[in-house]
Amino acid sequence: MAVLAGSMRAVAGGLSLGHVSQGSEAASPCSRSCPLPLSSFTTFDGLSPERTLSDASPSKSWKRRGTQNGWESCNCGGISRRQGSRGVVARSVLPSFPQKVDQKTKQRGISAAAGPVAATEPKKILMLGGTRFIGVFLARLLTQAGHEVTLLTRGKSPIAKQLPGEADEDFAEYSSKIKHLKADRSDVPTVKALLEGSGFQVVYDINGREASDTEHILDSLSGLEQYIFCSSAGVYMKSDLLPHREIDAGDPKSRHKGKLDTETLLQSRGVNWTSIRPVYIYGPLNYNPVEEWFFHRLKAGRPIPIPSSGLQITQLGHVKDLAEAFVLALGNEKAIGQIYNISGDKYVTFDGIARACAEAMDLPAPEIVHYNPKDFDFGKKKAFPLRDQHFFTSIEKAKQDLGWVPKFSLVDGLRDSYELDFGRGTYRKEHDFSVDDEILEKVRQRTAIPA
Amino acid sequence: MAAMAALAPSPSTATAVGLAAQRSSSSSRPTPAAATTTAAFGHTPSAQGKSRGSRSSSSSSSSSSSLEVSSCSSQRLVAGLGFQLSELLASSSSALSSSSSSPSSSLSSARRIPRRRSQGSAGAGGVSVVAASEPREVLIVNTNGGGHAVIGFHLAKALRSSGHGVTFLTVGEEASDKMKKPPFNRLAELREIGVATVWGDPSAVGAVVGSKQFDVVIDNNGKDMEAVQPVADWAKASGATQFLFVSSAGIYKTSDEPPHVEGDAVKESAGHAVVERYLASLFENWSSFRPQYITGSGNNKDCEEWFFDRIVRDRPVPIPGSGVQVTNIGFAPDMANMLALAVDKPEAASGIIFNCVSDRAVTFDGLVRLCAKAAGKEAKIVHYNPEAVGVEAKKAFPFRNMHFYAEPRAATEKLGWTPSGELGQILKERYQDYVASGRDKKDISFPIDDKIIEALKQPALAV
Repeated sequence: MAVLAGSMRAVAGGLSLGHVSQGSEAASPCSRSCPLPLSSFTTFDGLSPERTLSDASPSKSWKRRGTQNGWESCNCGGISRRQGSRGVVARSVLPSFPQKVDQKTKQRGISAAAGPVAATEPKKILMLGGTRFIGVFLARLLTQAGHEVTLLTRGKSPIAKQLPGEADEDFAEYSSKIKHLKADRSDVPTVKALLEGSGFQVVYDINGREASDTEHILDSLSGLEQYIFCSSAGVYMKSDLLPHREIDAGDPKSRHKGKLDTETLLQSRGVNWTSIRPVYIYGPLNYNPVEEWFFHRLKAGRPIPIPSSGLQITQLGHVKDLAEAFVLALGNEKAIGQIYNISGDKYVTFDGIARACAEAMDLPAPEIVHYNPKDFDFGKKKAFPLRDQHFFTSIEKAKQDLGWVPKFSLVDGLRDSYELDFGRGTYRKEHDFSVDDEILEKVRQRTAIPA
Repeated sequence: MAAMAALAPSPSTATAVGLAAQRSSSSSRPTPAAATTTAAFGHTPSAQGKSRGSRSSSSSSSSSSSLEVSSCSSQRLVAGLGFQLSELLASSSSALSSSSSSPSSSLSSARRIPRRRSQGSAGAGGVSVVAASEPREVLIVNTNGGGHAVIGFHLAKALRSSGHGVTFLTVGEEASDKMKKPPFNRLAELREIGVATVWGDPSAVGAVVGSKQFDVVIDNNGKDMEAVQPVADWAKASGATQFLFVSSAGIYKTSDEPPHVEGDAVKESAGHAVVERYLASLFENWSSFRPQYITGSGNNKDCEEWFFDRIVRDRPVPIPGSGVQVTNIGFAPDMANMLALAVDKPEAASGIIFNCVSDRAVTFDGLVRLCAKAAGKEAKIVHYNPEAVGVEAKKAFPFRNMHFYAEPRAATEKLGWTPSGELGQILKERYQDYVASGRDKKDISFPIDDKIIEALKQPALAV
């Protein structure tokens, strides 16, 4: 029982979202997000390793490795538990019972917990933002973990909106629990009036940009136990030596300077603060056209124009993994005064993103057309959604301190985004291929063999 | 001060001190007879109770105090002499107080470190585990040429600074011309600190070391089963309990998703990969170290020199492709430190593959900039397409023309490994050595460069 209790604790901190298998008996939660490549799984007890993604692509199916007390274990060492019709809600990378760990698992260290899961008592949490992307997933995790979460927003978007694939009863429970304070966070007097004496113990600041957005919030909340800030890896100074690490210098000229200023403010205030620096975030409901830009072109069967060599290396992090990292920072002593890069476990080239998106859509590898951006002037239009440079960070510090590990591999994560969003016909921006056409025309002219 | 000269201090010595200090702090261990032993090896103990890890460049003194590290006193006696170890010990065995004296084989009569079993170290089934931090007998089988050679050189030093007994077996013959090149022309530095240097054929290790017992055998030589299997088989048969193999990050399969991380798919038929699988089947405690490119004092193969050659002569540096290709230049003392940590912490290292690389990658263009900065010059880069210009990328440029980027995640996580510094600083030290060697004044021709630059004068070929 002690073992099970331990894993329950782990579950509280390690709740997972949206491995929404539609009741398929053979589905294992780990399979969708396990970072181990399929080829690394060994057979166990005569079961063959295959993978289920969802009923949408039933071609692959995962076999459970074993069951004990209702907990399923995977070859990766993770455990999971079904809950009602939601499929699986819980996953942990802590092995729940003794099991033979194959060489590759041991190598990866997946089954070795990097640190204790931060299980805390219920907190009164204020979230600044929370209706758009990151906060939507984060607020659910926190609510499920038993915290009281209040969103402070202008009220322009619905406070709770049902997620694609979210079961009705889960959404009902969430909407009944989530609270709202209506205000513009930059409206200092209103915010002060709302927050003074409010008793919020923890702030998750998801939409702060400038230090001035944050100062009065800190002023109004005496008794604040922790301020967890969503910063950005965009603050890093460009460098020839990579990856970016948390100790590296920030760029005072970057357009994310406000994030850097906010971190400095938090540090100066002596409050228990934690800053999370994501790179490119992706996943269902993404309002930044990262994967969407590729999905549009792949769906249309168009070539993908990629600037320069296509070898630029960047990093995509799934929003659900990011939400879990945010949760693990809560009440975590190691996280006090610390900054954490949060993104995917592997980086990816620009060309590689195009291929990964195609794979996520079960499409063949696309035609990629490289071009020299200096040959063009697109005015205000963006030819490509990502900054034309190497841009990636080391996430090892977060793995070490928070016991966090990203669960989505790139292709699996893109598949999750596609199946829950774009693939259902929803997207944020209508496609515009005018820039693509301009590029393709010029490039084809250049490479056309003269008569 | 003769020992000082023999150590041939280079700017990298300072780094080595830092390194050893890092290792000593990461592997806290009780230090028996620290004062006497360190005096013998020119070390000063860093602090009471700390390990003998900190190397200092202060003078060494010959001390005949009784030493806990095996073979130490015999090494001191033969320092500077290039005899085969077996011969020496045969003559000096009588001078040693030895619990086991077999008249025939020399090495076996060398003092054996008594194993101290720490409390509760016996594993299930009564197997006793050698606790990390005990002095161990280590054999390094080292290649006699190429990029890896320098790793073994620094490794021997690192292991000695932790108090392990080290035998350094260079493949081939001592009289060979290869021994005139670094690091082999500096093996006296190893002897000075008590390393036994011997030569021989990896297919007949026993013939060289006799019946001397080793706890750890490290193969920093072979690329395939032909070279490594005999060493591994001999190590197993002779009772070594830990086997380390210096492999290669070149065996990773290419991927859209850098970096290469331990556990990623490798080219199964590659020689190093076959060896790794064999070692896994043979030894309970084995580790593999996969390096990329290597820089450091005593290097047998050019690395940054290629860049300095051009920069110091104010020549443009031709870089294939876009120049954003990312690679990893490891610092030999840091890489050696990684292996040494595995020897210090055998349980942590058991069965693990380690990327033996720096913790930061660098782009081709970035490397030129850092080398130029180290030389106090402006970088002049020209990009070219090797195919279009008509040169072989392999001959025109010292690194693979692609992303080749591994990260040392396993070492960081499992061994507590950290690098001693960053590439910019390392290149500054390397540049000082470059100039000190007089290479900047040498008359060198650049036929391939010239061809590239000439070709680039045609506007169609400009990248």
